[in-house]
Amino acid sequence: MIRSGAFDNSFVNEVMAEPGGEHLLDCWSCGTCAATCLVRRFDPAFNPRLILRKAGLGLREAVLASREIWQCSACDACYPRCPKEIHISEVMQAIKNIAIREGYEPPGPFASVDEGLCSGCAVCTRACPYEALARGPVMVNGDERTIAQVDKTLCMHCGVCVAACPSGAMSLEEFNDQEILTRMGAGGWLEQPGYLQGAADAPRILAFVCQWSIRSDAEWAALEAMESESLHLVNLPCSGRVDPAMILLALSQGADGVLVAGCNEGECHYKRGTYLGRGKVALLDTVLGQMSAHPGRVRFVELGALTRSALPALIDRMSQEIVTAATAAAVSAPEGA
Amino acid sequence: MVDAARHPKVEILAYSEVLRVDGYIGNFRVEVMQKPRYVIAENCTGDGECADACPIEVPNEFEMGLAPRKAIDVPHGQAVPLIYAIDMDHCIECYQCVTACGHRDAIDFTQEPELLELEVGSIIVATGFDSFDPTVIPEYGYGPYPNVITAMELERLDNSAGPTIGRLIRPSDGREPKSMAIVQCVGSRDQRFNEYCSGFCCMYAIKNAILLKQMIPDMEITIFYMDIRTPSKGYEEFYNRAREMGIRFIHGRPSQITEDPVTRNLFVEAEDQELGEVLEFEVEMVALSTAAIPRADTEQVASSLTLSRSPSGFFMEYHPKLRPVDSPTDGVFLAGAAQGPKDIPASVAQGSAAAARAARVLSSDTWEIEPIIAKVDEAVCVSAQGTRCGLCVGACPYGAISCVTGEAAQITSAKCHGCGGCVAECPHSAITQDHFTDAQVVAQLSELLRDKPEEKVLAFMCHWCSYGGADMAGTSHFEYPAVSRGIRVMCSARMDSDFVLEAYRRGAGMVLVSGCHPQDCHYITGQQIAAKRFERLHRQLERLGISPERFRVEWISAAEGEKYARVITEMNETLDSIPREQILAENREARATIERRLQRWKNSPQMIELMADLEPETSAEQEVPAS
Repeated sequence: MIRSGAFDNSFVNEVMAEPGGEHLLDCWSCGTCAATCLVRRFDPAFNPRLILRKAGLGLREAVLASREIWQCSACDACYPRCPKEIHISEVMQAIKNIAIREGYEPPGPFASVDEGLCSGCAVCTRACPYEALARGPVMVNGDERTIAQVDKTLCMHCGVCVAACPSGAMSLEEFNDQEILTRMGAGGWLEQPGYLQGAADAPRILAFVCQWSIRSDAEWAALEAMESESLHLVNLPCSGRVDPAMILLALSQGADGVLVAGCNEGECHYKRGTYLGRGKVALLDTVLGQMSAHPGRVRFVELGALTRSALPALIDRMSQEIVTAATAAAVSAPEGA
Repeated sequence: MVDAARHPKVEILAYSEVLRVDGYIGNFRVEVMQKPRYVIAENCTGDGECADACPIEVPNEFEMGLAPRKAIDVPHGQAVPLIYAIDMDHCIECYQCVTACGHRDAIDFTQEPELLELEVGSIIVATGFDSFDPTVIPEYGYGPYPNVITAMELERLDNSAGPTIGRLIRPSDGREPKSMAIVQCVGSRDQRFNEYCSGFCCMYAIKNAILLKQMIPDMEITIFYMDIRTPSKGYEEFYNRAREMGIRFIHGRPSQITEDPVTRNLFVEAEDQELGEVLEFEVEMVALSTAAIPRADTEQVASSLTLSRSPSGFFMEYHPKLRPVDSPTDGVFLAGAAQGPKDIPASVAQGSAAAARAARVLSSDTWEIEPIIAKVDEAVCVSAQGTRCGLCVGACPYGAISCVTGEAAQITSAKCHGCGGCVAECPHSAITQDHFTDAQVVAQLSELLRDKPEEKVLAFMCHWCSYGGADMAGTSHFEYPAVSRGIRVMCSARMDSDFVLEAYRRGAGMVLVSGCHPQDCHYITGQQIAAKRFERLHRQLERLGISPERFRVEWISAAEGEKYARVITEMNETLDSIPREQILAENREARATIERRLQRWKNSPQMIELMADLEPETSAEQEVPAS
């Protein structure tokens, strides 16, 4: 039972005085944000409505000590749908600011820097959508070096920095290079020869799927059921986490095509992860084209929040186009010779 | 409606448009255009053989486009009067209707629009409402998903006189759905579109749900709501009945609706607030309970009848509690949802009330008006002397003033409500308002500023809002410094810039101009006229050397006693922060310029004494810089 003495109005005033927190008390708890938010798929306890409710009642300790306030990635999927036009991510930021001032720390996970490997090149600081990385002086083995450092209060563990780092110095729990490579090769899928090598009946496609782009659990389950000889799924924290080296590795082994699925531009859970992922794939496609590889072997697709079960059709189409291109190449090859 | 049509004293002009309204209470002249039906009303028997013969089919607006109608048709089966009309936008002039009509000879392709001029004593505006178009909410998928329909479409689909004879079917495949979700508050209670609650959607959603449940007992019906609002007599009982019938109510607003591309089933996602968990409902059909919104032509009607609109866009009543069916224009009354969303019982009650109010006008030979109306002194009005002016015309919210160059401005007394906007606007003192003359206001002003004026906050207040606010501050015992001195006029529009200048001339420390919030103005646009005027005054005061913080404009409602107390407290703090000598010096320096401007008052007989009072001092002041 919560006794009325626990309601601390000074906390309500504090949140509302903080930039972004002005609209805290406008919320009438309709639940639109809670049903929109994707974080709950990975953490059922996360509920933005309840955080606003508790903050509005002045439950200082319950709000500031909760792990949920650190989980909002400010993707702003809920903001345009809120009937009270409350910018929820800004209210969350206001609460986080108070928590930081009062010495609370986010629970993680965070990106981490291998101090021995980091060259201090600053590629990651430019890639990070949250400006959570900055270079600073650190004592490494007795020498003072300028290397990347992670601000834990800002890091949202999207993994963009891990993909960007040219030295392999960045890593992210669950989604470091080694773990993704292990999942890519699970069950020896990569080692089997592909359709273009004349060894399979249908093109074998490896799909990197952003974990936020598929909305419902049922849809995930249906996708997983589709996994077969010709389809292998690897989920990523964000399409911006995809590393071109991984795609090339897959293509050089048993994959005929690599598809990267991200969220719609504007719906990205990590602000500009889609933008970065799409750019990497487009560049790789161009380079592969110049190297006269079969066209259409890498592809980036965007999945909108309002489209359901769109991915199977997109995979199908890619598969057919690889067949068409391969057939066309087979017809024209003898003529060329 | 049929009774009305048969009544000997009721004439219905259907398919007609009001073009212009002139005149005033008891004496309106209304110009109406009767559109051509291309069917002679007296000859048409309403049998519809012409429609049977017509080969052209277009979407039927009454059936929400779910069924076709012919190019010659009636709006719907119960239409009154039951006279067919040809839709010339679609007619191909094949004349098959002429053949079908035969000896009745009712079809006449040569009809032209007819102009009628009516003389009426009163007018009732009952133009109804429109339904919100949910295509602007992309997350609900109305448009892209065929099985997402609006409540109005559902209304037609479960109506036994509707296009499916009361059989509910899914638009995508014509099958009878076994599950249905009804989403409440689509476009209402939503800051993005309409802040208000439409009020009657809860009841019609429950009605439709009960109807469907009776028709298809094994149907799963789920209503998603933010709050169920069933406050009227018998309504809560109806809601309880729906719950007992097994209709599921989910307390949570859906975040989005997505479609399975194969089955065309819909997934409604919402958080169940009771459980605190997110639900994903797979249903075969979704109905959106859309908001009632003001009709698209509301502004046009408002301007032709000088009506005002509330912030929500519906017509505004004269007083929300005491005169709920009267409009701001005498003799014009409001009925039904044109004034605000309401259900059938409320509309009927308001319609009866409006009819009774209108009858009161019609049965009177004379009409009592407020004693505070404005009058023109024809000898002073410059328009009569051939100068183009007409400032008063623009300042009248009621269109009561007409001004033709060469003639003095004319005020139609029956249309004047006594806001005093024209009086304050006239630069030549040609208009006076009974009981609120310039002399009366200045007399109050001079008394209030007799002792230590530099320590006073002179507050001009409008009768309806800010004066009520000041009163509220008193009755609520909100404390504020005893430095304010109030002058009440009917509307902020009556507050002449010259009153403010006169206050400074008489040494006032601070001046407050206060009135209603724009949407609350009792005189339609009086507040806007005042707001514009005092916007200009700020700049003039700056040129006069009066510190800008010594003049303040605030809009205070009758309920905002706290705000009135706060404004006066803040103004007193400002006053204390300015050195006394500075205030005295500013007033002294501005005086000569102000006096030149106030010369016009000296010509007014009632003002001579008031202005003469200060004459010696004034002339002495004027001599100082000269010497």
